[in-house]
Amino acid sequence: MKKFDLPLLLDGAMGTMLQKAGLRPGEIPELMNLDHPQAVRDIQAAYVDAGSRVIYANTFGANSIKLKKTGHTAREVILSGVRIAREAARGRALVGLDVGPLGQLMEPLGTMPFEEAYALFAEMVRAGAEAGADLIAIETMTDLAEARAALLAAKENSALPVFVTMSFDASGRTFTGCTAASAAAVLTGLGADAIGVNCSLGPKEVLPILEEMRAHTPLPLIAKPNAGLPDPVDGHYSLSAPDFAFDMRALTDAGAQIVGGCCGTDPEYIRALAACAGTAGEALAPCAPGPFLCTPTQPMPLNKVRLIGERINPTGKKRFQQALLENDLDYIVGVAIQQLDAGAEILDVNVGYPGVNEEEMLPRVVKALQAAVDAPLQLDSVNPKALEAALRVYSGKAAVNSVSGKEESLNAILPLVKKYGAAVVGLALDDDGLPDTAEKRFAIAEKILSRALSLGIPREDVWIDCLTLTVSAQQEQAMETLGAVRLVREKLGLQTVLGVSNISFGLPSRLLMTQTFLVCALFAGLTLPIVNPNQKEIMDAVAAFRALNREDGESKRYIERFAGAPAQAAPAPTAARLSLREAVVRGLKSEAGAIAKDMLADHAPLALVEQHLIPALDQVGADYEKGAVFLPQLLSAAQAAQAVFEKIKEALGGTERETVSKGRILIATVQGDIHDIGKNIVKTVLQNYGYDVTDLGRDVPPETIARAAEEGKAPLVGLSALMTTTLPAMEETIRQLRALENPPRIMVGGAVVTEAWAKSAGADFYARDARAAALIAKEVFGV
Amino acid sequence: MHEIALYAEEGFPPRFRYRICTVEMTGEGVLLREAGLLLPGKTAELMLREAPKAALVLCTLGLGFDTALRSAQARDMARAVMLDACGSALVEAGCDQAEEALRSLFPGAYLTDRFSPGYGDLPLNVQPGLLSALDAQRRLGVYVTDGCLMNPSKSVTAVIGLCEKPQRARIRGCAFCALRGDCVYRKRGTECEKI
Repeated sequence: MKKFDLPLLLDGAMGTMLQKAGLRPGEIPELMNLDHPQAVRDIQAAYVDAGSRVIYANTFGANSIKLKKTGHTAREVILSGVRIAREAARGRALVGLDVGPLGQLMEPLGTMPFEEAYALFAEMVRAGAEAGADLIAIETMTDLAEARAALLAAKENSALPVFVTMSFDASGRTFTGCTAASAAAVLTGLGADAIGVNCSLGPKEVLPILEEMRAHTPLPLIAKPNAGLPDPVDGHYSLSAPDFAFDMRALTDAGAQIVGGCCGTDPEYIRALAACAGTAGEALAPCAPGPFLCTPTQPMPLNKVRLIGERINPTGKKRFQQALLENDLDYIVGVAIQQLDAGAEILDVNVGYPGVNEEEMLPRVVKALQAAVDAPLQLDSVNPKALEAALRVYSGKAAVNSVSGKEESLNAILPLVKKYGAAVVGLALDDDGLPDTAEKRFAIAEKILSRALSLGIPREDVWIDCLTLTVSAQQEQAMETLGAVRLVREKLGLQTVLGVSNISFGLPSRLLMTQTFLVCALFAGLTLPIVNPNQKEIMDAVAAFRALNREDGESKRYIERFAGAPAQAAPAPTAARLSLREAVVRGLKSEAGAIAKDMLADHAPLALVEQHLIPALDQVGADYEKGAVFLPQLLSAAQAAQAVFEKIKEALGGTERETVSKGRILIATVQGDIHDIGKNIVKTVLQNYGYDVTDLGRDVPPETIARAAEEGKAPLVGLSALMTTTLPAMEETIRQLRALENPPRIMVGGAVVTEAWAKSAGADFYARDARAAALIAKEVFGV
Repeated sequence: MHEIALYAEEGFPPRFRYRICTVEMTGEGVLLREAGLLLPGKTAELMLREAPKAALVLCTLGLGFDTALRSAQARDMARAVMLDACGSALVEAGCDQAEEALRSLFPGAYLTDRFSPGYGDLPLNVQPGLLSALDAQRRLGVYVTDGCLMNPSKSVTAVIGLCEKPQRARIRGCAFCALRGDCVYRKRGTECEKI
């Protein structure tokens, strides 16, 4: 790897300089490499003359998406861009391949999959390396998922040093909500060589953002801010070159060693910076970040007890196993939400089950979870390929559960942990099995730690699980486990993990035993208990411990939790008085579920649906049509019905479930359309009339819908479109569905769809709203 | 409902930016010179024929709102629907704020109704050029898809003419609405603005 020296002076703005050199509004700046190479070269030579020791090639937007309609390839534009920069540098400065955002939002905010973004960046990186760039400068990123894709592509397709800078707004977050702390931790873990901030705001405004980054990385920091703030009317930036250089001092004092300018700067600004550089503060000692986990939007320092929810796991859970086999991601997301609402802070994710391809399922579940919930994940698998597939697509800093002291495990798991910058749970067992004394388990913990350190995994990312054994079977082991936790915590200072529920297996009053063991373990130094947060007794014990351990200032949360609570949990009083029908009509979700559970004792599931649930939904539907209730009430009723269906599904085995499904419906928002709340409303309502709904999502190509209809043998397909511009895509989808051997019936809806259009496009039905869709389904399926 | 509206207002205040351009009538449409943006069709011509200058406006609730909406959909669809509606109202309120800002910036000017790509015969495909003229991706995090849809979903672009003479309403109201024929409010004998 070529080295770069510190401190290092970068260049200034390129875009505004190109405009001065003749680039017109709407033109693609990177094409100047081909059409006006001299203009580009002159700008870069001016930066080198001013003192820049790294110049960025004019390749910021040279990706295949932005160049699509130009007739030029990314490679062609990059080869010329890097060549021009090298000519301008003439050995006096390094040349960075400039890599900016692709211009399309990635999943889950947008529609571009991680893999596609990776491929586009990889194409740029290979061309840049071929052209002789000295380093890769990924910049102006606002989505950590996209920055990760670019960084991984840079690392896997070249040996060049990689700089990564992101752009933040005055709130200290990027437009996607990413925090500086999360960005720093994730990019550091993934192997960037220097990280920081570019564009965004002026130097003064960038200072707190850079300081937050510094607390979460030992890497050199980059600051390439704008020349102050732009005037809203004429767009001119507020800082002159001397003022900019003066303000930049605050950033170099705060640890920025690689500096330059972004919007509004020119060679004069770089010259002013160069003049100050000699007097800039010397390098600060690199920061030592503490143990940390995060999503892009939620940084989570591990500085107190954090609860890991254990419920995303099929072991012993029929309903969960079924969800996995049926690819029912909504159910799994529901389990996640329930745990977070109950107080879990990190979610363990385990999808290992016979008949499930973990290498596909684990990343799929990770994508679904990070689209809907904002909690760090602990990826739980024995399959290294599944772990890697999930680590690739996870946008935050995850934990891997687990590695053990076994040679095979150390060799397979630790390199993944290092490559993706994850934390790892080390199980205190090895090739000789689980030792029976605290000291021997501690020795394995030391071994795992030293192996991790030798691979460059930071100490704070190694967590140790001293393993809980069942007290009814091996009574003497409980105290050994606790002793090992104490040793690891006191002598190594590492985070400790423990799944506590196992302690009480086979005993009466299991909760009491689990609760007591948890309290002992917390006192011994357990920091990351793996628990079922839905168990009130467990959460009560944690609340009490947090008050005792001074994690709960003035015992506020303890008091909130218990003050005014009834001494004994009374049975829900309303449930006894309400009928199922009333509970559904009034949209009372938990009451409806509770009543249904009671009724299932002496009602057949199908009878419950036909005699109680459907009449309730029909009543709400009729009221909705009359305008007596509105969409939110219709949906509340639908959700109450969903709670009833959940109880029925729990009560039934897989095959019997078919008897309560009234038929299969496929729904999708058509290609080009990204607004899907309308489709989701229809899905909620149809599901709660008892139909099996397969949701293909938004922006779905006609071929995908046709193929799914053919394979899934759905007798009814629902299509949604919001914009007039996507009606042709809907028409094409209808055409392809009609051309199938067994064409399904088709219903269409959405803001711009009318009854007349539906007929002319060849649809069977026009669904004005969700209620209408349910009536159409009834007509098609006869139930 | 009130609680959801407050949550939206506090969590996702609309942000806007604008750019003032000189208006030129050409044979192919209205040219907004500094932006290099051509607005074809009769709507733009009708709206801007008395305007020597025009403002391009972008207002958005940001991606945070979409994230919150997606999370709400996973938790509670009824709440999500209300949040979605509040978001639509909020981004329109943001456009009103942008208009107010323009009024105080140009005290003597008369503003035309604001109109957007997709209104009348102003095609949606001017959206990418309009957003690029406002440097939307970098300044406000607003992206445009191949199909010319904006992401974040609660984003509005608009053009407002700045005139020297008073302007009459030209596009507000049922007479100008594309949904007129199929409108549920009109069928009930009322109008959306009166609800």
